[in-house]
Amino acid sequence: MEKIKSVYIHIPFCNSICTYCDFCKVVYNNDWIKPYFKRLQEEIDNAYMGEELDTIYVGGGTPSCLTIEELEMFFSIVNKFNKSKNIEFTFECNINDLEEDKLKLLYRNGVNRLSIGIESFNADKLKFMNRTCDFKDAKERISLARKIGFKNINLDLMYAIPGETIKVLTKDLKEILKLKPDHISTYSLIIEKNTLVGLNKVKPIEEEHDFKMYDTICKTLKKAGYIHYEISNFAKKGKESHHNLTYWNNEEYYGFGCGASGYVAAIRYENTKSLTEYLKGNFISSKSLMGKVDNMENELILGLRKLDGISLQDFFDKYEENMQNIFPLKPLIKSGELIYKNNRIYINPKKLYVMNEILIKLI
Amino acid sequence: MKRENIRNFSIIAHIDHGKSTLADRILEYTHALDKREMKDQILDNMDLERERGITIKLNAVCLHTTYQNEEYMLNLIDTPGHVDFSYEVSRSLAACEGAILVVDAAQGIEAQTIANLYLALDQDLTIIPVINKIDLPNADIPRVTEELVNVFGFSKDEIVLCSGKTGEGVPELIEEIIKRIPCPKAPETTKTKALIFDSRYDAYKGVVALVKVESGSLKLKDKIHLMASSTDFEITELGVNTPHELKKDIINAGEVGYVCASIKEINKVAVGDTITLSSDAASTPIKGYKPMKPMVYSGIFPVEPNRFEDLKEALEKLKLNDAALSFEAETSDALGFGFRTGFLGLLHMDVIMSRIEREFALDVIATSPSVVYEVTLSNGEILKIDSPNKMPERSLISCIKEPFISTNIIVPSEFIGSIMELCQDKRGIYQKMEYIDATRVNIHYEIPLSEIVYDFFDKLKSYTKGYASFDYELCGYKESNLVKMDILLNGKPVDALSLIVHKDFAYPRGRAIVKKLKELLPRQMFELPVQASIGSKVIARETISAMKKNVLAKCYGGDITRKRKLLEKQKEGKKKMKMIGSVEVPSDVFLKVLSGEE
Repeated sequence: MEKIKSVYIHIPFCNSICTYCDFCKVVYNNDWIKPYFKRLQEEIDNAYMGEELDTIYVGGGTPSCLTIEELEMFFSIVNKFNKSKNIEFTFECNINDLEEDKLKLLYRNGVNRLSIGIESFNADKLKFMNRTCDFKDAKERISLARKIGFKNINLDLMYAIPGETIKVLTKDLKEILKLKPDHISTYSLIIEKNTLVGLNKVKPIEEEHDFKMYDTICKTLKKAGYIHYEISNFAKKGKESHHNLTYWNNEEYYGFGCGASGYVAAIRYENTKSLTEYLKGNFISSKSLMGKVDNMENELILGLRKLDGISLQDFFDKYEENMQNIFPLKPLIKSGELIYKNNRIYINPKKLYVMNEILIKLI
Repeated sequence: MKRENIRNFSIIAHIDHGKSTLADRILEYTHALDKREMKDQILDNMDLERERGITIKLNAVCLHTTYQNEEYMLNLIDTPGHVDFSYEVSRSLAACEGAILVVDAAQGIEAQTIANLYLALDQDLTIIPVINKIDLPNADIPRVTEELVNVFGFSKDEIVLCSGKTGEGVPELIEEIIKRIPCPKAPETTKTKALIFDSRYDAYKGVVALVKVESGSLKLKDKIHLMASSTDFEITELGVNTPHELKKDIINAGEVGYVCASIKEINKVAVGDTITLSSDAASTPIKGYKPMKPMVYSGIFPVEPNRFEDLKEALEKLKLNDAALSFEAETSDALGFGFRTGFLGLLHMDVIMSRIEREFALDVIATSPSVVYEVTLSNGEILKIDSPNKMPERSLISCIKEPFISTNIIVPSEFIGSIMELCQDKRGIYQKMEYIDATRVNIHYEIPLSEIVYDFFDKLKSYTKGYASFDYELCGYKESNLVKMDILLNGKPVDALSLIVHKDFAYPRGRAIVKKLKELLPRQMFELPVQASIGSKVIARETISAMKKNVLAKCYGGDITRKRKLLEKQKEGKKKMKMIGSVEVPSDVFLKVLSGEE
């Protein structure tokens, strides 16, 4: 197995909780930060073998809600990693947290990619999500970040919010494009059980409408010069997220922090989602060893999320098996659900939004 | 026992008028059972019978009592309480000389009271009218007396009042049975003739036949000949039920008892057949024998396709005890391997289905019940068709006839309008209407049996708030404008959903089924037309649009475990689907469509 090149770090603190969020998070409390970092340090020291890293991704929660002092403390941990020269170092931010001092601190500590949760500029959508965002303010903060030196900025967009029309979506897209992000991640609202929207039994929108929105996004962003490279992700040429590609290429990575998950030495593990447990030093809550079949299936499930799919040669190099012998690809190629071209297998872009239907025929 | 001191009788009643309780009380008064052995409703053996308050398998109990210092033998012969079994009722009544007509003191005459009374009168039985449940607070003896006098022409002093619950009037009733019901007729011949009025299968003894000896006698080790089935056996056991089995060496003319002769197949022992002696055979059988013919057919399929063998075993076991049940293997593209099964009627079907599910722990799907159609082809050939899928091409058919029934529907007169509306809707032909008393009428219609089989009972209940009582008898075949309707998924007919329907009803039925399917079917990867058609003509259509979304919009590091679980769940769901052509159909869709089309 190749050496690990990626690290994910989870910061489970937020200033306010979004109604739909299913990630591990708690409302920010200053008392917890120091003990949390102490344990984080311990967890990293236990596992990290000094590999040279190509990507670091700090996600949450809201990592940007930490104070300057806390961030200094955080980077004193992170800076011990062995970073490669061309590292992609992403830090998730809430737009309202982006102040000059913080941005400068991030930049100084090697962060070179910001992933900003804009989600929407529409008042109704924001209210539904329990978020705030103002276009003019966002524009100023982003240009400030650019001025400080950030050359790779991702913006998140949520859609399929109940009541959202194509017109509302188109306006959101137009405004996001005005901010000239290098990368755009889009998320169709998923109503998860243990979120506020789930508990309030919010009904998902009609799948026809959902698909129409997805289609609108794909077409609009393509027209604006973005490459659609994964189901929900779009990037300017060369700005694809290296870190996320580690996941979709089924490569190993470290996951640190409360609620993080990782994939190390053929074991997929999940850390505890309970902050109290984490603070006691009980990091891992479950582990499972990936056998060859699991791995090949994961390769498929993850790899086919990418528009260019999976290279049959890469698959053979990794598993010493011909992919077409392992999975019944032929009937699906015949039915037009899969496409085989240039020795790659990928899902017909028209069928990408019903990908699960295709996957269950394969695994 | 000398013939003059034998009384053979039945109790006939509408459901829930207290027949079984009264029978229990008679047993108690004749000391057939001690108190310790008294379990409610002795004669209904099966759990299902007790639960539903109906009798399916018959019984005959031999009781002894003394009247004016003479000993009498009373044979109480049970009758099934449902129209599906009216032939069996007629055979057990044929074994009697008299019948007790039980009417509930609060309910009065109901549809089955009338139907059963006519069956008894057909056999020239002496009738003792009894008003039962006189202990009820809402008993209305004068009104019910009035009904018995006006509708049937009984005289007031003929009517016996009693309560099966308290036992009041039961000793008097027993006395009346002895006084009024004639003894068995003197034999017309010395040759042995015994009427089989029921049979059941016993794992140790083989078939046990209930018989009444009309002439001659049956003795242990006699070589017997069954006249209709033309087979011979040797009697291995004889006896009577008291209700305990009591073995005997001989059953004489006029007496009722059971006969075993190591018979393995129940259909050799047909109800209505005559037993005679092989060596000294009677020349003519007892009149009234008819071979059993199923009236209603349905395809029965196991919900889990791999349980076909279990279903086969279940049907074979039930068949051992039920000569009326018939089945043959059938294959359906939609439902897999199963059996085309014939029943005497809907209750019979219902009972068999419950027994399969209950006694054999099998989940089954039944296709819409079909009656037997008589199809005349243009070349003059006549076919009996019991399944829509066996219906010949329309162009080959010159006419289709279907079975009609004539009804007794007894309702309070305020429901006359509703009943007429319902019967007209069901293609009924009005015959006549009679007043039973000032407030209740008996309405006679002729209605196609297929409409009864469809949803008549449910409709009747809701149209009359449950106040109607209903009974019917077959009255022959009539020509109808019938068509075969197919249901198509993605242009391909689904055999399990085809049905034969009157042309005027095809459109609403087709629309209803197609609409229901639209609700029930999951979206497919392609746009799916759901159609109803007659021949090549589409009469109803719905379209299920293609699946638009089934994806996890985001999937990062840790999501893969969750995503796999989701996919595995979806895959599990797929396994429960049947493939009809290229369409994935959850197997419960058939159950839902077939159980309630509207």
